[in-house]
Amino acid sequence: MTDTPTNSLEWVWFIAQKYSDLFIRGTLLTLAVSVTGTIAGFLLGYIVGIVQDTKINKEDYFFKRAMLRFFKVLSAVYVELFRGTPMIVQAMIVFYGLRQAGLEIDPISAGILVTLLNTGAYMAETVRGGINSIDAGQREGALALGMSPFSVMLGIVLPQAFRNIIPEMANTFLTNLKMTSVLNVIGVQELFLQAKTAGGTYYKYLESYLVIALIYLVLCFVFSRVFALIEKKLAARKDYVLAVEYMENTQ
Amino acid sequence: MSEEIIRVEELGKTFGEHQVLRKIDFSVAKGDVICILGSSGSGKSTLLRCINQLETQSCGKIFFHGSELGRRQREINEYRSKVGMVFQSFNLFNNMTVLKNCMKGTRKVLKLSKQEAFDRAITNLKAVGMAPFINAYPSQLSGGQKQRVAIARGLCMEPEVLLFDEPTSALDPEMVGDVLSVMKDLAKKDLTMLIVTHEMDFAKEVSNRVLFMDKGYIVEDAPPQKFFTAPEHPRAKEFLSRFIAG
Repeated sequence: MTDTPTNSLEWVWFIAQKYSDLFIRGTLLTLAVSVTGTIAGFLLGYIVGIVQDTKINKEDYFFKRAMLRFFKVLSAVYVELFRGTPMIVQAMIVFYGLRQAGLEIDPISAGILVTLLNTGAYMAETVRGGINSIDAGQREGALALGMSPFSVMLGIVLPQAFRNIIPEMANTFLTNLKMTSVLNVIGVQELFLQAKTAGGTYYKYLESYLVIALIYLVLCFVFSRVFALIEKKLAARKDYVLAVEYMENTQ
Repeated sequence: MSEEIIRVEELGKTFGEHQVLRKIDFSVAKGDVICILGSSGSGKSTLLRCINQLETQSCGKIFFHGSELGRRQREINEYRSKVGMVFQSFNLFNNMTVLKNCMKGTRKVLKLSKQEAFDRAITNLKAVGMAPFINAYPSQLSGGQKQRVAIARGLCMEPEVLLFDEPTSALDPEMVGDVLSVMKDLAKKDLTMLIVTHEMDFAKEVSNRVLFMDKGYIVEDAPPQKFFTAPEHPRAKEFLSRFIAG
């Protein structure tokens, strides 16, 4: 590759090769931040969603009611704050805010923190919707067996809600994969920032961004397939095996 | 008189402005098979749901073996494990096989071992004729089959009382017989049952007491022989005449 590229396509190839280590590092970082941020955010979203869905029982002890009320208010404020502001602004405020408060946080940790907080806020609403989509009879059937409301939630309602919100979880994950690009503003060296660096030397920004566009596209494609597979795996089965050993006429 | 299991005193329930139950007083003794009759909106289902605490009563008390049922969650959970419920819409767990449905309560609540829970599930599924379907999911079963599984699930807890909330109302006519015959078997085995139903012949044949409800009151509490031949309350007469005419 000693010849100078003559057209855009050649430049794309040239830049992809010349700065392959930058792109690889960027891809890995993008993946690391979005995967950890999303998974942690999903967990947070489930917790907040469950808190919001929990009803306060008037007969409970005062302390339990007070705690629940406190967490309900806290989670409502949190959801509104993070759904109501852009992620790029959140990144700046969290990163510089923490630094000004004297906490020497590195950009990657700050990036993961912002991603997880952002994801949690949206997931909380998704989880709440998922819980509401489950017929009340499922809950009542379990309560009538004497199961505690908490184990009904964990063992009966959530597994079914989870299945229903997989498509939405896939959406959130793909969004995050791309939204990590805004974290360049706090200096996270993910794909977007690497492309900026790679494009700078030869002043070939378009070609450089085309490289990462392709990388994003491939990543998103792979992950959307993975989610489709999970969904298929959890989908209701159509067939079942008759337990012939318990047929009346065989006994 | 045999031993009293549940007693309800002055029970009332309002939904907003609407008073659904008023001054309900009655008790359930061991071995009772009580059918609750009445037109829709008379409060039958709400009464059953209050007894199971799926609805909290607005006033009045429920006694279980003579002691008042508290409102703390743990107490209610334990009470529910002894007072089972079968629903009109089955409410089987959609994400679990028939076998898992029947093992969930015994594993989680009664803390039985896997083997014990399995054996109990098989025994009760056999009793309702659903044992061959242990690997099926609820969505793969007919309504009648689902209801029989739901009954088996309730029986696995070995409850002292089993409540039935219109168990055959959501079924095709040809499925109704299957479910009713299972319930007749249970009555023969002396299971205590409280049944909200519209099946008059079943009530006549199987129950030892009929409660007739109207506008939130129990207006008649009589043995079926008396209730079906010589009802006292005018609303009961009207109700029965409609069934005979229809």
